[in-house]
Amino acid sequence: MSSASLSSPGSGGLGLRRALMRNRGALIAAAVLAILLFIVDWISAGPLTYFDVSFLSSGGATSALAAIGQTIVILSGGFDLSAGAVISLVNAVLASSMDPMAPGASIILWTAVGIGVGMAVGAFNGFFIAVLRMQPIVVTLSTMFILQGVTLLVMDKPGGFVSPDLGTFYLGDAITGWLPMPLVVIGVVLLAWFWLKGTRFGTALYAVGSDPESAAAVGINVVLVRFAVYVIAGGCYGLAGVFISAQTGSGDPLVGNPLLLSMFAAVVVGGTRLGGGQGGPVGSVFGAYILMIVVNILLVLNVSAYYATIAEGTILVLAALAGSISHASVLAVQLRAARARLAAWRAGILPSQLERVDRRLKVAEPSPNQRGPASPRPAFHLRNAETLRYALPAYVCLLLIVVVTQIWLGRAILNPGYWNSLLVLSSFLAVLALGQGTVILTGGLDLSVPWTIGISGIILAGMVNGSDAALVYALPVVLLMACVIGFANGFGIVYLGISPIVMTLATNGILQGCALLYSQGTPAGFSSPMLRWVMTARLAGLLTPIVLLMVVFVVAAVLLLGRTPFGRRVYGIGNGLRAARLSGIGVERTLILVYMLSAVCAAVVGIMLTGFSGQASLGMGDDYLLPSIAVVVVGGALITGGRGHYLGMLGGVLLLTALQMLLAGTTLPYATRAILYGLVVLGAVMALRERRLQ
Amino acid sequence: MGIGLKVRRLALLAAMAVCALGLPGAQAAEKHKIFLSMSYIGNDWQAEAANMVKAMAAHKSLADKVDLQVQVAGPNAQRQIQQINAMVQSGAEAIIVYPISPTALNQVVKNACDKGVKVFAYDAEITEPCAYNVHIDQLEAGRVTAEWLVKKLNGKGNIIAITGVPGTSVDDQRTKAAKEVFAKYPDIKIVGEAVGMWSQAVARTELSKILATRNWDDINGLWMQVGCFTANSMQLEAGKKTSELLPCAGEGSNGGRIQMLPEGTEVEGAAPPYAPAGAQRISYASPPYSGALALKLAVEAIEGKDVSKTTILPLPVVTNETIKLCDEGTWAEMKAGCNAFKPSLVSNPGWFASIFSDQTPEVGLAAALVGQPEN
Repeated sequence: MSSASLSSPGSGGLGLRRALMRNRGALIAAAVLAILLFIVDWISAGPLTYFDVSFLSSGGATSALAAIGQTIVILSGGFDLSAGAVISLVNAVLASSMDPMAPGASIILWTAVGIGVGMAVGAFNGFFIAVLRMQPIVVTLSTMFILQGVTLLVMDKPGGFVSPDLGTFYLGDAITGWLPMPLVVIGVVLLAWFWLKGTRFGTALYAVGSDPESAAAVGINVVLVRFAVYVIAGGCYGLAGVFISAQTGSGDPLVGNPLLLSMFAAVVVGGTRLGGGQGGPVGSVFGAYILMIVVNILLVLNVSAYYATIAEGTILVLAALAGSISHASVLAVQLRAARARLAAWRAGILPSQLERVDRRLKVAEPSPNQRGPASPRPAFHLRNAETLRYALPAYVCLLLIVVVTQIWLGRAILNPGYWNSLLVLSSFLAVLALGQGTVILTGGLDLSVPWTIGISGIILAGMVNGSDAALVYALPVVLLMACVIGFANGFGIVYLGISPIVMTLATNGILQGCALLYSQGTPAGFSSPMLRWVMTARLAGLLTPIVLLMVVFVVAAVLLLGRTPFGRRVYGIGNGLRAARLSGIGVERTLILVYMLSAVCAAVVGIMLTGFSGQASLGMGDDYLLPSIAVVVVGGALITGGRGHYLGMLGGVLLLTALQMLLAGTTLPYATRAILYGLVVLGAVMALRERRLQ
Repeated sequence: MGIGLKVRRLALLAAMAVCALGLPGAQAAEKHKIFLSMSYIGNDWQAEAANMVKAMAAHKSLADKVDLQVQVAGPNAQRQIQQINAMVQSGAEAIIVYPISPTALNQVVKNACDKGVKVFAYDAEITEPCAYNVHIDQLEAGRVTAEWLVKKLNGKGNIIAITGVPGTSVDDQRTKAAKEVFAKYPDIKIVGEAVGMWSQAVARTELSKILATRNWDDINGLWMQVGCFTANSMQLEAGKKTSELLPCAGEGSNGGRIQMLPEGTEVEGAAPPYAPAGAQRISYASPPYSGALALKLAVEAIEGKDVSKTTILPLPVVTNETIKLCDEGTWAEMKAGCNAFKPSLVSNPGWFASIFSDQTPEVGLAAALVGQPEN
């Protein structure tokens, strides 16, 4: 797992140096925060007073507490997407169960309730991840959907009541005029963490995150450690939920959900490596406050609304860059390598300048008649046993869903319209799955998908404006732009050593700003008749043209990943960065191509959506980020890279789309649908879980 | 660490350069410092509302009085709390806010009020009593549209409901009010219901899912918060004639309004499906001018005028009887009763057309499109 992250310095020292290296992330995050605070203080009208600090400390506390939990999960090599949903749930539970008639409330009791709810959710996650050995990202994604449903059942609209006592306690001063309470709360949690880190459990946690197999070999109970990690993290999210309840004094079933992405950014900015084993919660706390103070900076700089996300993205990249600066950082290594290459070129000893002679080992080829009785080619299901094992469950579940649809709603199996709709609606995710899937196969993640879709659709609609002829130049322009976006992502990740999550998250924000600037808030133009025809017409009353194109696309995707050198390099990088590099794969070039592929796929989806809807709108890609990750993993790919087949991902796409179609056909309330959706995803992936290693 | 220091110094210098450019120049001291805290700016309605607020601030009646700064909080209520705090700290006299949550901001808003800052919420509501609220009656919106649909169907038929963002007060109130109306008519059956997220694109995906197992012929009417334009387009694609379009109660997008015009009306720039089709519609909206009006009211409040805590905007309702095409879209023209705009002027059919208010003669079509006030 540890090989998955690309931002790893790649070399580690021993003893003190190693300890310094570990804390470097946190130290640099603290320095960045100090600089930002200084900037705010310097530009704003008045000096930074205790009140400013107090406000800031309460503003970032929820994210900071949640980021501590997320960091612990990431240190253990996991990933938790349910964090935001836990915060919403705790907020809803607290706000709906406190009695407004009895305003006095026990702080200890309600804090315990919040933490308890979080830990219960953590135990649910932990059971599936640790005991059943399922992939964290799928389990927590399902949990997220389930919790969102449960939260809406607890509280279907904002309201409720949280006792002001909670607010007075959590937002007040620990020492009047000197120390705000939120900092004390965070401090207590961090102290608890330091104690934990010093115990055998803490060592085990880092060990499991670094290398679970070695950890198991030295006698660590990996299952127990993993389980405990999710329970502890759940407790942190629960406390964050209590804090936001105290801060807002009421409930809102949606309050925690948008915290998820910024939480990951906080963790990475704080110097923790995704994939586990390195970093710590202290840095994440600074990371959370860095992200929060950006709000103040944008305000004092009077950055206008359309530029806000661009400025934010830039600050995120700069913060991440500052965090990775050292002799061993990727950027420094790349610069040294470039210098060495230049020197070699001057001396004329670059491999490409040398005489081209075949230096391969010459092995005598066995002549065909010496082989003896040729061993029979193994049967198809044996040759593809692994692919089948991971890809088949998605198709089996798909079949089940279709049968249920037939029984429940009728008109499915024998209705060509049903299959056509299924394929048309799947086409968007099927294209995205290739891009996101390839990125995931290399161990990365592309979060810039939503606004790559958005900006592509908006620019295409603006250029085409209803004219088929304009497609001739509009399509290449949009695809070229996507290549540039993907190149920028890849460049930042490969050459600047920025973690894929931070880089693509920043790109997403920058693209959002660009889309707003380009459209001035009102996307103009509409799809051309031909594009609409491709996405919505019915050939012979049955088949939409895009379905035929999808068949071509799927074949091309399977060939690309399975039968080309590019595909083999992708799998090679996912299985081990170092091994890939040593076996002569141009890792840098391949990774850049991978992110370009992902951006191009997203742009194609933007074009398809524009054709499908007839026009482009801002935010049209927002609903495609999490599904694009979900289908890849449901289709049997490993989130840390190296394993997965496009046909499996396609199965995941069809399964999730069929499930949504089934749920849309019912009149179940949204909350129930969300819960069912989560449960089915969880069930589908149960079949994929890794068998216990011998 | 050498490189580190250098880069950080460079970053600091760059930041300083940005500040120098970004700092507002010397300004007249008597200007009122007003902030706008927007939510997620990445959707059409929000961007249009922001344009109208900016146009209002630029109008000659306010330009000398108001120093408006627009900030975006994103979808995250935590950040909006932080942002409002920062605005108060930097000396705001009034804060116009599109509240991400009606409840989560209560504490920070109360704190702002205590410091004498006027807080105005537009479109959605802040439940803290000291805040000023400018919005439509969402219950009325749900009820009026549902009653219209029931009447069109003579109290009998199968309908599909497309709702908004689950878990928000606005969606909750509209949907509950509409369902209360439908419940009174036992022959009205909701046969399909989906979450439309107030987006034409989502409405199309969700309708496609529902129609995969159903037929347009089994459905008699549509009640949607956003998506009638899309639903009509889909029916036309499925081979229906314009005269067969199902009655649809829904949003005030310009595309939907143009479709309401009698078939054959000459409209500049129209191309199907963004063209007159005589669609049976009731078109309502949360009007995007509410932010602009809130700004105007905020200035009045700062100047000591008495402003009511709650301003309920009249529900802008347009039916086939009242639909009328605008020529240029000036405020004066809209005052005379026009309520739909030519596709040659508004090329995005999803654009929200309910921009007219008696109370805001400062802003017209140009304001909503590009932030340009009326003369």
